[in-house]
Amino acid sequence: MSLFSITDLSVDVPDRRLLHGLTLDLPPGRMIALIGHNGSGKSTLLKVLARQMTASGGRVAFEGRALADWRARDYARRLAFLPQHPPAAEGMTVRELVALGRYPWHGALGRFGPDDHAAVARAMAECGVTPFADRLVDTLSGGERQRAWLAMMVAQEAGTLLLDEPISALDIAHQVEVLALVRRMCHEANRSAVIVLHEVNMAARFCDHVVALKAGCLALQGGPADLMRPDALQDIYGLPMQVLTRPDGSPVAIPA
Amino acid sequence: MTARLLPLALLASALWLWAALHLLPLAQWPAWPLDPARMDIPQILLGFGLMPRGIVALLAGAALGLSGAMLQVVLRNPVADPTTLGISAGAQLALVTATIMASGLLQEGRWPVALAGAGLAAGLVLLIGARRAFAPVTMVIAGMLVGMTASAVATAMTLAQGEYLLSLVIWNGGSLVQQDWSGVRALAAVLAFGAAAAALLARPLRVLSLGTEGAQGLGLNVAAVRLLAVGVAVILAAAVSAELGLVAFVGLAAPALARSMGAVSIPRLLALSPLVGALILSVCDGLVLLVAGQVGEMFPTGALTGLIGGPLLIWLLPRLRGSTPPGTERAEGPAPRRERPAPLLIGLAVSLVVAALVLVWIGRVPGGWAVLDAQSFAAFLPMRLPRLIAAASAGAALAIAGAILQRLTANPLASPEVLGVSGGAAMGYAGVVYLVAAPTAAALTAGTMAGGALALILIAAFVSRRDMPAERVLLAGIAVSALASALLSAAMAVGDARSFQILAWLSGSSSAVTMPGALALAAVAAVLWTGALAARRWLAVLPLGAGVAGGLGLPLRPARMVLIALAGMATGAATVLVGPLSFVGLMAPHMARRLGLARPGDHVTGAALIGAGLMLAADFGARMAGFPYELPLGLFASLIGAPWLIWLMMRPQR
Repeated sequence: MSLFSITDLSVDVPDRRLLHGLTLDLPPGRMIALIGHNGSGKSTLLKVLARQMTASGGRVAFEGRALADWRARDYARRLAFLPQHPPAAEGMTVRELVALGRYPWHGALGRFGPDDHAAVARAMAECGVTPFADRLVDTLSGGERQRAWLAMMVAQEAGTLLLDEPISALDIAHQVEVLALVRRMCHEANRSAVIVLHEVNMAARFCDHVVALKAGCLALQGGPADLMRPDALQDIYGLPMQVLTRPDGSPVAIPA
Repeated sequence: MTARLLPLALLASALWLWAALHLLPLAQWPAWPLDPARMDIPQILLGFGLMPRGIVALLAGAALGLSGAMLQVVLRNPVADPTTLGISAGAQLALVTATIMASGLLQEGRWPVALAGAGLAAGLVLLIGARRAFAPVTMVIAGMLVGMTASAVATAMTLAQGEYLLSLVIWNGGSLVQQDWSGVRALAAVLAFGAAAAALLARPLRVLSLGTEGAQGLGLNVAAVRLLAVGVAVILAAAVSAELGLVAFVGLAAPALARSMGAVSIPRLLALSPLVGALILSVCDGLVLLVAGQVGEMFPTGALTGLIGGPLLIWLLPRLRGSTPPGTERAEGPAPRRERPAPLLIGLAVSLVVAALVLVWIGRVPGGWAVLDAQSFAAFLPMRLPRLIAAASAGAALAIAGAILQRLTANPLASPEVLGVSGGAAMGYAGVVYLVAAPTAAALTAGTMAGGALALILIAAFVSRRDMPAERVLLAGIAVSALASALLSAAMAVGDARSFQILAWLSGSSSAVTMPGALALAAVAAVLWTGALAARRWLAVLPLGAGVAGGLGLPLRPARMVLIALAGMATGAATVLVGPLSFVGLMAPHMARRLGLARPGDHVTGAALIGAGLMLAADFGARMAGFPYELPLGLFASLIGAPWLIWLMMRPQR
């Protein structure tokens, strides 16, 4: 069964159509990059998948069930979403932030039980934030903060992670660190991830599967090797691109 | 686009002509130039009353339209206008103060006084705004705080001087009645000055519309242009205030309508807004004349523009898409966080009880202070206990409502006053006073709650919109408050004993509380506290924004509805006692946060305790400060609260 099956999806905002009849199947258990030029509709697609935005037409099913048929908390147990600019979480410790990830399980009034404590501890350990569990989120560095938010998503114990440009505000070392962490989370715990990325080389290096959008339509779907070809890249970004090969054989794309 | 103004212009002239011809057939109109010596009474009424009145309506409307357009352009804020920024209220306070305390000042005319008041208010609002990068919502909230404080002080003074009430209230309402042509001459001069200034400033303002950094990059002296443009806007608004009183919302409506007619560029907006403003005020005044022709002059024109302006603001809000930069509000600096809040909370609770006991025991007697002996304690207890319970409960309820709203909207300036519930409640109270012949206390309470609930339903309609950001809800609340104050001033312009009753209630008093009423209020506070504790996980997640909350599976719309309903009911109940204005709902949650109570449960509990304490203190102060007379409780609380808040908003950020 595919993770998401999208049929003829279109999204409209007043006077503009953001997605034009997109039809697409996303495979499970992979780390999927969603790339495209500015305004290509990649963030819109992610928001529709996260149920943050409603489609104007077409069908989207998650794990074989239409999006509208999921109850909010059931959906959050299966799928975790991180918006593009996570807020400052003022006055909250890392442990409290991660514990918010248990909301889909205990709800507004349920008891925060031993299972929840264990899940929070596991999530913090997996993302390496246990050492600063009691620090305030707004005193952390950018990379540490992003790891704390990832830990909140892990605490949700969802099989699928949706991330909207999780590395756009980070320096290159933290970009690699965060993407490596997401990759480990996918491959070692058999999770799926859909990540909106700007950086095409990062997408090719860390992701198993690439979906490229162009002006609201599907431009390309395939493995990193299908993406890292000059003609494919020129088609997606409308710019002549050159693909170099590094000594270890992996490709790097630069503007020609 | 000007063709679309034609029907409005025709309507305005038709209304005025109807009134004029009603007064005197065309054949008998006085010849120009007007000479009172050769005119009979109807001719004088026309030549020195109706004629200047029609022109004053045009001039004042144009001045307000231009003032609003300049403010909106310079602050890049589509809901800025002399009313929402507190400028008109500042002028009002200055004039009331001068009328009562130093009437000699007014011999030079109302202008210097009004201008000073308007300038002070505008300066204060701009100072607060400058600390926060002129974020539109902050500006409007700051303007409203300044405006409400000014109105509160003005109300207190009016209350103290009953004999002046009538003339002041009518002046407040913005009556356009004229006795000669002096108003026309004065306003025409100011408008000419404003038009010239606007023409000179049009190009710099266009550059400024790129934003501060962009404009500075192009070599513009941003501070000077801002100061000049705001200065011109203040002069225009103050002139109208001095001449006519508070004419609300024309400055908001005119640029909005001009924009909807296609005036996109700044020079065009500055040119068209005065035209639209002139026509709006003319039509409103024509309608007032129409009613006056039938049943006599019932209410001032300014009240009518308020009635139109409130709904207009509500209508505008959903259309502000993209023009209000989101996420510009930030809390002031990192608040401390206490690891173990329990000792602090227990300490607060204990000191609250001790304070209550002490306040029961001591009191002021003629010539000094006294601690009650056992006998008089027994005599005083039934009188003092209900009001202490009621004051503390009202404070706690308002504080919890404030804490909920601040977390819900992720805006540190949210509070029940800002939500419009208080304004709605005030409308309900006034409605009962005017519609029921001899209202009982129960009827008044019911009316107040109903008014609050009505405002709440309006707000809830906003919240239920899917894409409505929480800060827009605050603006909707401000619109409701403005509508309420316009209705109230219309009601009070009737100027009889009932106006006085409403005025007295508006400033809040706890002296009439009975024990059952106090206990009911305490029960409301307790229910609210329990509800807030039960919803503490929502209160933890909601400040993180809709994206995170939705991702965690939190039912966003129902959660917002429930929390707003909780806050609104509590506000309505507390408002019955302390009046619509106290700032406790704004202050107490802030203080709790500053004391290091970061977790939602602790925050709400701490805010409730602090709010109760503040209100006890205000009650004590209100009883003692003017002994043996009693000052209004809500007024006293706001006089403590407003300066503190303004100081808080002006503190530098991290």
